[in-house]
Amino acid sequence: MVVRIIIDVFIVIGAFFALVGTIGVLKMPDTVCRMQAATCIPTLGVICVSIGAILYASFVLHSAENAIKIAVIAIMIVVTNPVGSHAIARGAYRADLRMDKNYKVEPDDYGRDFYE
Amino acid sequence: MRKTQFSAVLSTFILCMAVWILLTWSFEIQELAAGVIVSLGTALFSSRFFIHDNAFRFLNPLNLIKLVLFGFVLLKEIIKANCSMAARVLGGCKNVNPGIVRIPTDMKSDYGLCLLANCITLTPGTITMDVAEEDGQNYYYVHWIDVTETDRKAAGDVIKSKLEKGARRVFD
Amino acid sequence: MVELVIGAAFFGLLALSLVYRIAKGPTSGDRMMAVDACDNLLCCAMILFSMYTHRGIYLDISIIGAVLGIIDTMLVGRYLEGSL
Repeated sequence: MVVRIIIDVFIVIGAFFALVGTIGVLKMPDTVCRMQAATCIPTLGVICVSIGAILYASFVLHSAENAIKIAVIAIMIVVTNPVGSHAIARGAYRADLRMDKNYKVEPDDYGRDFYE
Repeated sequence: MRKTQFSAVLSTFILCMAVWILLTWSFEIQELAAGVIVSLGTALFSSRFFIHDNAFRFLNPLNLIKLVLFGFVLLKEIIKANCSMAARVLGGCKNVNPGIVRIPTDMKSDYGLCLLANCITLTPGTITMDVAEEDGQNYYYVHWIDVTETDRKAAGDVIKSKLEKGARRVFD
Repeated sequence: MVELVIGAAFFGLLALSLVYRIAKGPTSGDRMMAVDACDNLLCCAMILFSMYTHRGIYLDISIIGAVLGIIDTMLVGRYLEGSL
């Protein structure tokens, strides 16, 4: 019974941070700020949901196979997410934001060093 | 072209074999033999692309303990940054003040630079956009959602001082 | 445990609401970023649903989604950057 309460707490925390990330993606003003908010989903959202599911698989289902697979999924998402995020940020800066006249950030060292 | 090293082939083979056993999850002799053949072919072709350093670095228990301690430091930073991002989003997404700053770093090796850049990207609120080198000093270009410091060195201390201290213990 | 399937449905609804950003998003960077977030949310939903139905096959699909989800993101990012 105690294990079930702990599992529920972890799943609720993960769902809360996934909700925060989704609201951020829908409401933030420009591309890279949306990406900053979306980083909440693969960090604490995925980590808390995976911890809850690992506890469920080991203490309720008694299946080591499922627990190891969930751990591999979580590690894979957390390790590979920054690479894609970095590629999208550079591509969006070069393709879209530099052409946009309305986009203005205050210290813009990247544009000053690479494109002027 | 880089030469194929035996230790790189062996570590890549062990990784491929672990993934094979995980996906099939059967321990019959035929499945294991097929896995050995496929993993050996994959390791021979692809090992020279992603192992450039000492392949058995983390078999040393001291390095492994340092890596696990760095994982706890990273987890604490991630939780702090997530809470501040949650407050920012639930407050209506109005108090954003974005900017791209250039911060100097002390990391020297390629693996260390890659590890620290990925950890900065993994904390919500900062994204590493590029790495550049100038006069023997490495720089990161970091997009920061709330610029509170415009001086470069102070901004670097705010963004990455704890992470860099942990990462320097793992690599370099 | 019924709360597992409630959590899975909640994650699915979040992924469905990101379709708004994919359809509207002013630039292609917005669309690709929303696709990436959608991928991670669907991996979570599949983990929870697999725990609810006690079937391991959803976990295999989720592993493949987590491994291959990085490739399209990096491909589109490199294409936008012009260095493909």
